[in-house]
Amino acid sequence: MTLTPAQIRKQVMDYLEATECHIIEASPHHVTVKLSPRADQMLTDRPYYWGFVERTGAPPETLSFTFVFDPEQYDNQASAPAPPVMPFGLNSPVTSSGGPGLGRPAEIEAAAEPAAVPGGPTGDPKEGILARYFGIVPALPRIGPGMIRREDVIYGSRRLRQIWTAARDEGKYLYLFEDPGSRQRNTVFSAAYEPWLGVCYKVEMTCDLKREELHFIGISLTSGAIEDDFAVKLAARALIPRLPENVHIQPHELSPSAAAERIETHLTAYLATLDYNWAAEARERLRMELAIVDVYYKELLKDPDEEKRQATEEQYNRRRTETTWQYEPEIAVSAITCGLFHLRST
Amino acid sequence: MTQLFRNSPLPEGKKNAPLLPVPLSFDRGWLQELEQKLDKGGPWGDWRLTRLGIQGVQSGLVTSFDELQCLQHLTGLSPLPHQLDTAHKVLFEMSGRAILADEVGLGKTIEAGLVLKEYLVRGLVSKVLILVPASLVLQWVRELNAKFGISAVAQKKAYSWGNDIVVASMDTAKRDPHKEFLLANEYDMLIIDEAHKLKNKKSTNYLFVQQLRKKYCLLLTATPVQNDLGELFNLITLLKPGQLGNQGDFAANFVVDKRQPKNEGQLREELSKVMIRNRRGEGPVNFTKRKVRNIPLTLSAEEKDLYDSVTSFVRDQYQEAGGNLSSMLSLVTLQREVCSSRDAVFITLVNLIKKLPADSPKRDRMMTLLQTLRTVKKNTKADTALSLIQEMNEKVIVFTEYRATQEYLLQYFREHGLQCVTYSGGMNRGKKDWMMDLFRGRAQVMIATEAGGEGINLQFCHHMINFDLPWNPMRVEQRIGRVHRLGQQNDVIIYNLSTQGTIEEHILHLLHEKINMFEMVIGGLDVILERLEKKESLEKSLYKIMLESRSEEELRQELDHIGESFSELTQDVQQESGAVK
Repeated sequence: MTLTPAQIRKQVMDYLEATECHIIEASPHHVTVKLSPRADQMLTDRPYYWGFVERTGAPPETLSFTFVFDPEQYDNQASAPAPPVMPFGLNSPVTSSGGPGLGRPAEIEAAAEPAAVPGGPTGDPKEGILARYFGIVPALPRIGPGMIRREDVIYGSRRLRQIWTAARDEGKYLYLFEDPGSRQRNTVFSAAYEPWLGVCYKVEMTCDLKREELHFIGISLTSGAIEDDFAVKLAARALIPRLPENVHIQPHELSPSAAAERIETHLTAYLATLDYNWAAEARERLRMELAIVDVYYKELLKDPDEEKRQATEEQYNRRRTETTWQYEPEIAVSAITCGLFHLRST
Repeated sequence: MTQLFRNSPLPEGKKNAPLLPVPLSFDRGWLQELEQKLDKGGPWGDWRLTRLGIQGVQSGLVTSFDELQCLQHLTGLSPLPHQLDTAHKVLFEMSGRAILADEVGLGKTIEAGLVLKEYLVRGLVSKVLILVPASLVLQWVRELNAKFGISAVAQKKAYSWGNDIVVASMDTAKRDPHKEFLLANEYDMLIIDEAHKLKNKKSTNYLFVQQLRKKYCLLLTATPVQNDLGELFNLITLLKPGQLGNQGDFAANFVVDKRQPKNEGQLREELSKVMIRNRRGEGPVNFTKRKVRNIPLTLSAEEKDLYDSVTSFVRDQYQEAGGNLSSMLSLVTLQREVCSSRDAVFITLVNLIKKLPADSPKRDRMMTLLQTLRTVKKNTKADTALSLIQEMNEKVIVFTEYRATQEYLLQYFREHGLQCVTYSGGMNRGKKDWMMDLFRGRAQVMIATEAGGEGINLQFCHHMINFDLPWNPMRVEQRIGRVHRLGQQNDVIIYNLSTQGTIEEHILHLLHEKINMFEMVIGGLDVILERLEKKESLEKSLYKIMLESRSEEELRQELDHIGESFSELTQDVQQESGAVK
């Protein structure tokens, strides 16, 4: 499965938004962003710097990037003759020191060329017109402490993988409620919410090769009912982190661990219905490989020299272990994410 | 947040359900963590991030046992069909243990990179050890990072071993304390470049690799058989002991003489289970043609005079030294340099004079040579090269053997308005890269003294001029290999400048007419040379012939003789490698 630049853009933008990064400039092909402290810690691999900030209480200075989703289009655009670029926010008051707040990113000041007079004729309205007339113009390369690094974020790029991993880590444990919208405000009756345990499992079937499946399973903690495609159930609802007004949660009949037990049994039952030819074939390969190894060493192990024989035996055992390690089939199930979801009872 | 549980949690559940034919394990770490968070009331994750994370996992999911997944994870690399085929075979037919034995220039590194990437994407490999000759360590690291997005690091200090993917030199790895550390570890994948160095099963390299604990393993070599079939047996036994039976079976079943196999068909089939050998000029890999233009030059009277006086000087010295070759090397160089440039001769001469005792009789004779040198005002070869370059008006790489010639050409070409850069072995990596960039961009001419070593890939240029010739065919091939390689779109045109009536003419005759060096790629050139040079190096034999032959006729005969032995060996080697294909 591969993704189009537009899909990747959507995902990256989602991440930047969710981590409260400051978007400086965006087009369909790129985004220039000043990371939030939270995103910076996840993405820039600067543990020493963040350790320093934490211990000294110094105001953090996060990094900025230009993420390019469609390098070709972006470069075309950049190479097209463009009028002098007005970086977004040029007009914001320029201060000499970058404040710790997010609202006033330091590199905007760095970006403002010394010649540009703040509050001068290049005001916001004009920029709007320019942007409308020429389309969105990529920012000039900025030099100095506020330098913005360009990075191509395409499918398979390291940055995209990193963003996914960061998102996965931060979003692993959930506690959410369905948003009732305005419905609950106009009624006197409290709505009953049913607690669900949802777990997204990754099933890894491994021998010398590998196949994977993803299963997002939900179980009601009141009724014990199991939803195989829990993601679909969730997709239809808006979820919020706080308990809405005028809502009550039905008491749990099942503890999370008892519920987990049941979904595991459920998943195991499903797995039992799969085709296990792959495992049988892998075992056959293993058997043949071991047979070759056994035959080969059988002669060598007859060596009368005790010392030599021991060395050979060691080698023989090592080779057998290696071979089993390489081929032996197994299934490992782990959770990508899990959480309690409180959904309106139906 | 208080929760009411009507029934107490069940005891720890069974980890392995009985109904599966395969061991099943559930990782339950999440449940503990979730319960802790429930007790403490958080902190909780963001639903948007969760969905994003799941999408990430979904897009990287290995949905099939038997399809290459790595391609969609690679950007800016489009592997050739034979490279993909190879990766496919290694994964799905050889279960990740293979000898990659493509001929030089077909991209073994790319194939190994593809296999590694695929295993990484599948999550079947995380700890990787890559052992290569010291000079290739950085090149491997660069390629894996740039082409495959694999975060490999070069081993520098002891703690570097702690990284997941380490590239190290074999010589470092096999020594303590590194050896001890590596043997105590397990590697999901082991890759060894230039694996023919493991041909001897008693060598420390061999024993070390045998002891390493590895799951998947790739051995890369362009010459799986160098001297005898036993080497191949050792290599395969290292990879999969028993694959060819034991040594006795192997000898009985497949070997007539150490270089001649029997039951070729059966041997080939056995080999195809563990070894992949793609060849040039086979299948879909089409190399462009090589076209050779020999440009004969006539020396000016002054140049000819210099050449003759140097030649007679060298020969006299040789006779005086009683045929002792080793003391003659710098003098032979002198004679070769006359065919290149005045500057080269000058520097060597001055250095020789400096070394002589003040009263040596040779001194006078050398001073006379210096005087003759002064009379030479222009360089016929440089003129010819210049007009060639101006005429073709395209990018061109000029190779010379001598630094002094390189300097001279740089000056001379610049005076005539050509944009030039130089490239030599002494430059550090950064400067080399910079020179290549300049050549790719603005400069029309690159003047290089070094062709071997790592990393000059000049596919964007398809003209090369041999200003003078190395006497070692391997070095000639290396020169050509800089431009005639995968990715070259055009036919490569090779110009050989040869001064008539000099030794150069004879050497060119040998390399071009007899060995047919320039027009085709000789498979297994290194093996052929190794055998040819059993007694002494080819260069030395040539020196001897040059110094000892009394007439042009004799010289020519001797050289022809070498040419013939070379062709014979070529045939032998081709037959043998045909057998192990």
